[in-house]
Amino acid sequence: MFELIPGRISQGVLLIIVLAAIYELTRIAVRKKLKTRGIPGLERIDEWIKEAAKLERAVFFTPGTGVITSPDTLASMALLGYVSKRCVEYGARLIVANSDPQVQQLTEDIVKGAYTKAGKEKEFTPDMVRYVSTRQFAFAAGVMGILRRERPAVNFFVGDFQAESLQVAETGRAEAIYQFGGTTNTDQLCFFATTCDQTLIGEELYTAQGYLSSDPDAISKLVGPDAGKTLAILLILAGAVLVTFGNSILVYLLGL
Amino acid sequence: MSSDKKKMSRGDLGLQIIIFSLGFFYAIVYYVAVPGVVDLQAVSDQLLAYITAVLTAAFAIGVINLTRVHWINIKRKRATWRYSIILLLSLYGMLVFSVIASPFALDPNATVIPASVIQFSTPIWDFLYYKVLVNINSSIFSLLAFFIASAAYRAFKARSVESTILLVAGLLVILGQAPIADLIWPGLSMIRDWIMAFPNAAGQRGILIGAALGIIVFSVRRLIRYDW
Repeated sequence: MFELIPGRISQGVLLIIVLAAIYELTRIAVRKKLKTRGIPGLERIDEWIKEAAKLERAVFFTPGTGVITSPDTLASMALLGYVSKRCVEYGARLIVANSDPQVQQLTEDIVKGAYTKAGKEKEFTPDMVRYVSTRQFAFAAGVMGILRRERPAVNFFVGDFQAESLQVAETGRAEAIYQFGGTTNTDQLCFFATTCDQTLIGEELYTAQGYLSSDPDAISKLVGPDAGKTLAILLILAGAVLVTFGNSILVYLLGL
Repeated sequence: MSSDKKKMSRGDLGLQIIIFSLGFFYAIVYYVAVPGVVDLQAVSDQLLAYITAVLTAAFAIGVINLTRVHWINIKRKRATWRYSIILLLSLYGMLVFSVIASPFALDPNATVIPASVIQFSTPIWDFLYYKVLVNINSSIFSLLAFFIASAAYRAFKARSVESTILLVAGLLVILGQAPIADLIWPGLSMIRDWIMAFPNAAGQRGILIGAALGIIVFSVRRLIRYDW
């Protein structure tokens, strides 16, 4: 009755193996309380927000032009949650700019939630979380305008970015003291690396939440995805060696 | 993270069951077919159409937020309140003309809206869209060239071994990409191709593999709300 779709069987098997490996390694890491290397930029977020509050300048955050279904956008929400909590704690004004109406709703909930949890819901104003435009360059122009007019001290460009990344980050650099970038889009990463003080590269975006947690268990859980990477590296090496010696068994298996 | 460990309320549990069922369904549809019984792909497409409809309706949230923020700006006469007037006029002006005269007009056959109004609005919409919006869009995009120049100037400073490697690689790729590359030295375009095809592609693929694994773990974590 059920039929596996040809060409996707190996993908499914590989997915199960990778997930099982990640799960098992995570359990071992938690049991042994393994430590991971830190991401220097993440450790400095608190300092930066404190400094922005001291200077009475805003903290700016944008998840980019991705839609709500984009994994980068969703991952950036964890960081927004952290940044908004810290902004409430240190009394820094937060400005969030969105290009997608659904993301706008989500970010508004996160920021409002941070103020409500701290019992400061009266301090939340609708202009803190702004919808700019769904059009890429209208969004870029709007964000550039906000960065020029409001002169935030710290800018966070974390999420799904396309060609507008350099425009907003370069404009932000003119006024901001610190900039924090993060995306998995390899075409835009080089722009963030050039214009931001710290950049989350690729998967770091998805693990940032773990690094920000002070819970040693959460930190150990970051080791898990490395199991997947090790498997991928082994497969690449095995494939390269086998194909070099004229054996295409792995190519055949992965094509199933 | 610790919030995930809290006991879920009934509402949260119900929502989680819906999220898990839909997520699991989409994962299954990708790998499995049930020929002769049910066209899973068609069901999935239909569900996606519903999601698209719900998401499209959410556009109103954006319009409401824009109006609210800029209306407050105008009311309180903040520093940029004049820009807010222009924004609101543009937003609602374009909305009205788009409803009457754009390719997505609500009444293109003039059943309700008088034909004279449509005839009057069509050249205005054409002007606003093709002569204003499209050109502004292109202008903002073209600004990228200047931003690239200033970012490249900053990046291409030989301050350390890494930045010197970046500078040399960048210069070779720029020279190799230039139309006169082969006239300067035929090897330049070969070097460019090698840099792009090997060190550059290898680095990018490394990041992509890591990101793909990150997405898998992140998605599964979200889907089953299991903290690992």
